[in-house]
Amino acid sequence: MVSIINSIDTAHEDMIHDAQMDFYGIRLATCSSDRSVKLFDVNNGQHTQVADLRGHEGPVWQVAWAHPVYGNILASCSYDTKVIIWKETNGVWEKHYEYTGHESSVNSVEWAPHEFGLVLAAASSDGSVSILTHKEGTWEAQKINAHNIGCNAVSWAPAVQPGSLLEPPSTQTQTHVKRIVTGGCDNLAKVWKEENGEWQQECAPLEAHSDWVRDVAWAPSIGLPQSMIATCSQDNRVIIWINDESTGNQWTPKILNTFSDVVWNVSWSITGNILAVSGGDNKVSLWKESLEGQWVCVSNVNKGDGQNPPHPTTDAQPEQ
Amino acid sequence: MAAHRREVPEFSVSCPGSSEWYLSSRWGQGLKLSVFAGNGKRRYLDGHADTPVVLADHPAIHDIRWQTDMHHAATRKLAAQSHEIFTSLQKHTSDSTEGTRKPQLVKFSRRYRVAMMECIEDLRKAASDSLVDEATQEECDSMCQLFQQLELIWNLCEILFIETLPGGVVLQHLLDWVKLHFTEADSLAAKVIEASDDEIQVNEEYWSAVYIYVLQGRLPEARHLLSLHPDKQKDVHGAYGKIDELMRRMPVFGAFSRQTLAEFDLKWRNWQELCQQLLKEGVFVSYQRLENICRILAGQQDVLEQFQHLVGDWYQLMVTKLLYTNPMVKTMDLQYHAKSCMDVFRGSSRLLALDQILFAALEFDITQIIKISSATLSNWWFVAHMADLLHHAGQLESQQLDYGATMREFLLLEYASTLMAEESMWQIVIEYLDHCPVFGRHHLELFVEKIPLKSERKAYKLLKVCEERNMDDQAQSLCKVMGMKALQEERLGTALTWCLKSQDASFASFLAEKFLTEYSLKGNFSNLDLIDNLGSSMLVSDRLTFLAKYRDFHRLYEQGEFSEAASLLLSLLEANLAPKQFLLILLTDALPLLELDTIVFSSKQTSQLLMCKEALLKWYKSEEYTREILPKKSKGHIELEKEKLELLQLGLSRNLSRALLEESVRN
Repeated sequence: MVSIINSIDTAHEDMIHDAQMDFYGIRLATCSSDRSVKLFDVNNGQHTQVADLRGHEGPVWQVAWAHPVYGNILASCSYDTKVIIWKETNGVWEKHYEYTGHESSVNSVEWAPHEFGLVLAAASSDGSVSILTHKEGTWEAQKINAHNIGCNAVSWAPAVQPGSLLEPPSTQTQTHVKRIVTGGCDNLAKVWKEENGEWQQECAPLEAHSDWVRDVAWAPSIGLPQSMIATCSQDNRVIIWINDESTGNQWTPKILNTFSDVVWNVSWSITGNILAVSGGDNKVSLWKESLEGQWVCVSNVNKGDGQNPPHPTTDAQPEQ
Repeated sequence: MAAHRREVPEFSVSCPGSSEWYLSSRWGQGLKLSVFAGNGKRRYLDGHADTPVVLADHPAIHDIRWQTDMHHAATRKLAAQSHEIFTSLQKHTSDSTEGTRKPQLVKFSRRYRVAMMECIEDLRKAASDSLVDEATQEECDSMCQLFQQLELIWNLCEILFIETLPGGVVLQHLLDWVKLHFTEADSLAAKVIEASDDEIQVNEEYWSAVYIYVLQGRLPEARHLLSLHPDKQKDVHGAYGKIDELMRRMPVFGAFSRQTLAEFDLKWRNWQELCQQLLKEGVFVSYQRLENICRILAGQQDVLEQFQHLVGDWYQLMVTKLLYTNPMVKTMDLQYHAKSCMDVFRGSSRLLALDQILFAALEFDITQIIKISSATLSNWWFVAHMADLLHHAGQLESQQLDYGATMREFLLLEYASTLMAEESMWQIVIEYLDHCPVFGRHHLELFVEKIPLKSERKAYKLLKVCEERNMDDQAQSLCKVMGMKALQEERLGTALTWCLKSQDASFASFLAEKFLTEYSLKGNFSNLDLIDNLGSSMLVSDRLTFLAKYRDFHRLYEQGEFSEAASLLLSLLEANLAPKQFLLILLTDALPLLELDTIVFSSKQTSQLLMCKEALLKWYKSEEYTREILPKKSKGHIELEKEKLELLQLGLSRNLSRALLEESVRN
């Protein structure tokens, strides 16, 4: 049984590219080709626009909420080559920092797990990934030359080490290692690790796609002694990469499915057991590992033609 | 297993726009997605990233949820009730002995069924509630039917796997099972009786009721109905009397009766021979209906075919057949009888999910029951609780999955996931995750962090949850979030309270400075209660220790304990705990003590104060001060500070001479 609980009229004037719920699922950030970022309070099916953030000069591709221990902070990235960090102080949203270190469209931003501090990764079409770290009131940038022709996506590894299942949580005293996975126009995904303040590739690139890698998603740790990454590509495929503790730096690919069109997006549910896949086949499909260890599609959401209700404007009440 | 693979539910979301706009989605808590259309990256790929598109409608974002069957009013109640049963079941079985376990488990199983029946009743009411819209009515109706099926399955499983009768003689329970769930005869009988005045209306409904009673083995009810038949009074040939006598004398085998199986068998054979004999004698020849009844009693198969429409379904047929042909059937043999009855009803047509599940139960294939139920019934409530109960009954062989979780845990996790999107059920979710020994903890950690902290009360509850489970990281981050929130709303006291709970040193220092700044601006402290009662928690950070001690100094001074106040002040100055900017305030605080009639600072202490003052003056000349701080101070402020320092110099010199004088006199 699938149902639409609520539809929100975003009042954006052009296509939406991203819509992220904040940490607790009570505030929604959207961004669009109309160059704006909008924030909505969502409560019991009601929603009100709380901010309309202007600052980008091109389509805004992605937004990302920082962990609430740092207050209310949002990052956005755009075709205009900029990353903007927005902050709420006394109920007012303002631009907190603008990063202009890229030479081409910035396609993806994601905050590191909060254990690492306030750290943002941004992936750009200029081929590099920036790691922005907030230190004593200023932002420091580090750049990784990630993919030659362009970098499309970046995703952080969870701060919890895989396999921590085996030891009681209270005895975990390991220092967390920062890791990211990036996907690029060289058809590769790469895993990076910070060591002594330097970012380096941790292992051989993940090589199995035959066209641009469009999105990458590192799965949350759910207690298995393994790490898992999902990648999707212009080659219509979604691949699940598994790195078993026992096998060291080996990532083993497993094709989840070959779709009928480009796959643009992969993302893991919060508890990490369901993968949402969306792409040019006009579907959002949900995938889950069965009891037997097979990946199976558990649900499909299709795009209707707009002929049938529910009409999105029925209970939308954006503040003008 | 392909036949049992869950059909992939398809759902359409209406998103007007060109076909170039692909659907995209983002996750929420639990089984919840935000879905929208649009993919400008494709435009980017085509080189038109920044070409505006004119839209007819604003793009919309759809909040989509699935497996929401436990989110309705009626099912939420079931979720709450079954959660209670579930948790007491977990506690119970851990401390009961083998001997008492079984009857207790049967009780638990019945409690679950009572909760289900209540839910079915509520759903039935909701389905005919004229106040709700048609779609909701339909939804409630279909859920009502689903839960009826589930209860039917549950009951059968209870008989076969939980009650596990001695000797495996199961028929009485199966009869009860049929009686409980298929009550058509009762409603027919009630209808017939209600429509009659003094004499009963003998019509098709009347006879249907009688036949069904007989088919279900409910002979007392059948006899009662027959006794109301007008012909019964006349009964010229004694046929009514004979059939009544036959029915009265049918032997019944009770699992707990004293007779042995052999004794029962003998009685049974004699009785059925009597039935056959009466048929042969043609006692009922002129009474077609009564003859039919007698033929059923005699265990003749062809008559059952004739009454197939009254029997119900294959599982009812099975029970009827067993009753009149094989009343001592053992549970292990049920599957053969089930198969032949299923062939009668389904033939070559496709089996329904319910058929497969009931059949799997009769085959004692628990894994199969759970697999088919999970794949076809779109409800995790049933499989999760059933698997758990079977696990406690020792019936669920712990099937080790590849990654080590048991089937029970897998199902409990699935069930818990369906509740996560419903914010009000967070406590229930947590308790289910608690009982998943392998993966529960990690799911819990990920889940707990995302629970909205909408009130202080909820935050405290959640903090308790974290503390009870030693989830330090989560407790820490929760306190930090609450502290930050309070800080932003400028509720310093609340912020400090949260900060102390998590022993967060840097945050404590930050807040202590806030308090000190507040003091230096306003000249008094807010949240005195809190600061006065810090106790040992002041040790979290140096700044906080300073704040608490400094407040102590004020209290001593207010209480007139000047010499204690003086030494505390001095030790604060010397311990270097205070922020540099606060030094002048501390020194100024010495002024009123210097003005007192009695001398509170000894000559030695006064010299120490002078040294502190010199240190401050030295800092005023430092690069750090002149570059960072001086530019921020107004001219008036600087003048004021200068004045204070002069006063201090004066006070200190005077005190030094007074002290020296007094000390020399004393010596």
